[in-house]
Amino acid sequence: MDPKLTEVSQYFERFKAACVREDIDTSANLLSQLKVLLTSFRSLPPLFEVTPNAVQELTIARDIYEHAVLLSVKMGDQDAFERDFFQLKPYYTDARKRLPRSPQEHMILGLNLLRLLVQNRIAEFHTELELLPAESLEDPCIKHAVELEQSFMEGAYNRVLTAKQTVPNQSYDYFMDLLAKTVRDEIAGCSEKAYDFLSTNDARQMLLFSSDNELLKYINEEHPEWEIKDGSVIFQKAKETAPCKEIPSLQLINQTLSYARELERIV
Amino acid sequence: MSTAPAQDVEMKETPAPVAAPSNSATSAAPSALQHLKEIASLIETGAYAREVRRIARAIRLTMALRRKLKTSVVSAFLNFALTPGSEPHARLSSYLPKEDDHEMEVDTATSVVQASVKHSLPELEIFSYLLVLIFLIDQKKYSEAKACSSASIARLKNINRRTVDVLASRLYFYYSLSYEHTGDLAEIRGNLLALHQIATLRHDELGQETLLNLLLRNYLHYNLYDQAEKLRSKAPRFEAHSNQQFCRYLFYLGKIRTIQLEYTDAKESLLQAARKAPIAALGFRIQCTKWAVIVRLLLGEIPERTVFMQKGMETALRPYFELTNAVRIGDLELFKSVAEKFSATFSVDRTHNLIVRLRHNVIRTGLRNISISYSRISLADVAKKLRLDSPNPVADAESIVSKAIRDGAIDATIDHAKGWMVSKETGDIYSTNEPQMAFNSRIAFCLNMHNEAVRALRFPPNSHKEKEIAEKRRERQQQEQELAKHIAEEDDDEF
Repeated sequence: MDPKLTEVSQYFERFKAACVREDIDTSANLLSQLKVLLTSFRSLPPLFEVTPNAVQELTIARDIYEHAVLLSVKMGDQDAFERDFFQLKPYYTDARKRLPRSPQEHMILGLNLLRLLVQNRIAEFHTELELLPAESLEDPCIKHAVELEQSFMEGAYNRVLTAKQTVPNQSYDYFMDLLAKTVRDEIAGCSEKAYDFLSTNDARQMLLFSSDNELLKYINEEHPEWEIKDGSVIFQKAKETAPCKEIPSLQLINQTLSYARELERIV
Repeated sequence: MSTAPAQDVEMKETPAPVAAPSNSATSAAPSALQHLKEIASLIETGAYAREVRRIARAIRLTMALRRKLKTSVVSAFLNFALTPGSEPHARLSSYLPKEDDHEMEVDTATSVVQASVKHSLPELEIFSYLLVLIFLIDQKKYSEAKACSSASIARLKNINRRTVDVLASRLYFYYSLSYEHTGDLAEIRGNLLALHQIATLRHDELGQETLLNLLLRNYLHYNLYDQAEKLRSKAPRFEAHSNQQFCRYLFYLGKIRTIQLEYTDAKESLLQAARKAPIAALGFRIQCTKWAVIVRLLLGEIPERTVFMQKGMETALRPYFELTNAVRIGDLELFKSVAEKFSATFSVDRTHNLIVRLRHNVIRTGLRNISISYSRISLADVAKKLRLDSPNPVADAESIVSKAIRDGAIDATIDHAKGWMVSKETGDIYSTNEPQMAFNSRIAFCLNMHNEAVRALRFPPNSHKEKEIAEKRRERQQQEQELAKHIAEEDDDEF
C-alpha cells in the first residue's frame, strides 16, 4: 500500500479511538493533522484524478469527514458542522459513481436537514430536499426531519416535542434540544395571542417546564408583560377597546384636495 | 467523400427503404430544395450587407420547411451550398443516413446541372450544420445529432461575426436538446459556461440570453436550484431580444422562486410567462399553468375554474383541478386520496414536494371554514372535522389553532380549561375606514388613467396636409355647434 495511505489510516484509527473516548481536544488535533495529510492525495475533490489508489483514498477521506461532522455535533459547533458538511457533500454527489454507498450517508443528510430547520433556514431546507432522490425520502432519518418540518409549519408543536423521543440516532439529541427551545418560544408567542389566560399548571405543561420556578424565571426573562395573578397567567391583550375611532383627518383632507385638483384638470 | 472521419463507423445506418415512391419524392424535393436555395441566397445577401434581420428571416423560413425535409433534399442542398469534396461537406454528409444509391444519383445529376456559384461563406456553412442538425433531431437520431452539434460548436468557436450570432444561438439550443434526449446533460455544462463567457466577451446578447436559459435548464433538470440561482443572480441582464427566450427565462425564474418559498414573485413570473408565450406553444403553457396553480394554492388563493378549462389543457390539468377542489373544501382525507391517486403525474412534473407542502394550506382552509361557521366549538370536534390522523388529535388541534390565530388566519380565542374555541364577531366593516381606502384607490386609478390618456393624445396624421374644402368646414362647424348646444342643455337639466 501507498506509504501515505498507511500513514493516514494510522492517524485515522487514533482519531476514531479518541472520538469514542469522548476526548475532544485530542480528536480536534488529530483531525487538523489528517486534513493536512489529505491535501497530498490527488484523487480527491476538486481534482478527482484517477490514480491507482483512488477508491481507497476517496473512501478514507469520506470516512474522515463523516467523523469530523459527528465530532462537531459533539462539540456543539454549528459552524464547524457546516464547513465539514460542505466538504463532505462532493463525496456524496459527484463521487457517487466511484464509491460504494456509505452506511452513514442518510444519517448525516438527516442531521444537516435538522440543522437547517433549527437555524430557520427553511428555503435551504427545501432546496436540499429537492436534491434527494425519491427513495431517500423513505429512509427513517430523513423522514424524521421531513415530518418534523411539516409539524413545525402546521403548528402542531406538541408533535415536535414528542418526536424528541423517537430520535433515530443519538447524535440528533443536540439539535433536538435547540429545536425544543425554538418551539418553546413559538408556543409562548402563539399562546399569548390565542388565550386570554391560562392556569399556571397548564402553562407549565404546554411550555414543557418541569417546575413552576422555571416557568416563573422564563416569564420574567422573556415575557415581562405577562401578569401572574392567583395561580393563572394573564396575557396582555392588545388594546381592543377603541370605542371612539378617530377619523384620520389629515389623510381625508389630502385625499379630498387631490380629487378637487384632478377634477379641475378635466376640461 | 474520401476523407471520412472516424465517427463515421457508428454513424452509418443500414440503408432505410424509401418510404415514398421515387417519383413523388423527386417531384416534391425540388420545391423544398427551391425554398432552401432561396433561403441560402437570402443568407448570402444578409451576410454581405451585414444585415442580421435577413438572416433571422431566413431561419424563420427554414423552420416552416422542417416538415418537408428529407435526406435527398438535405444532401442536395449540401451539394449546392458547399463545395463537394471539401472538409465541411464530407463531415456533414457523413451524418446523413445513406439512402438508395439510385436516389442520390438522380439528385446529384440535377444539382450538377444547375451550376451554381460555390460560396465559401461561413454563414452558409453554419447554416448547413443547422439544417443537418434539425433534420437529425426530427428523425430522432439523437446520437448523430449529438456528434454533429459538438462538431458545429467546435467550428463556431473560430468564427466571430455578428451575422452568425443568430444561427449560432439556434445551434446552441439544438446542441443542448440533443444531449438532453440522450440523457447526458451534465457533460456539456462546462462547455455551455465557456460559450456563455465567449458570448459575453463578444457582446453577443442573443447568444448570452439563449445560453443563460440553456444553463438554467441544465441545472433545473438535475434539481440544482441553489447553483441555478447563483448563476442567475450574477449573470448580466439586458433587454430581451427574443420573446421566446424571455418566456423561458421567466418560467425558470418562477420555478426557482417557488422552491425558495418566495411565492409572490414566483406567481408573477409564472403568470407572465404563460401570458407572453405564443398560443402555439401549448406544452409550455400547460407547464406554466400547472406551476402557477400550485403557487396560487400555496399562497392561499383558489384559482378559478376557467383556468382549468382553457382549450387543449383540460386533460393535462385534470389532476390539478381535483387537487384545487380538495384544498378549497379543506378536507385532509380527500387531499390525501387525490395526492395518492395522481402521484405518478406529480412525480413526472416534479411537483411532488410542493404538493406535500400544501397539506398545511388544507388545514388552514378547513380551520377557516370552521371558525366562520361556528361561534363556539369544542377542540375535540375541531380535530374530528379536520380529520387529523395523529395519536393525540386534541392537543394537536389546539396547537394548530393557536398558531393560526397568531398568523392572523382566523379571529378567535381558545378557552383552555373548557377546551373550546370561541370565534370573534366580525365587526361591521362599514364603520371602519376600509371602504374609504378602497374607494380612494379606485378613484386614484381612474384619474391616473384619464391623465395618461390625455398625455397620449395625438393629432390625426396628415391632417396638416389636407386643405379643408369650404363645404366640409361648414358641415363640421355645424356639428360642433350642435354638440355644444347639447352639452349646454344637459348641464342645464341637472341644476
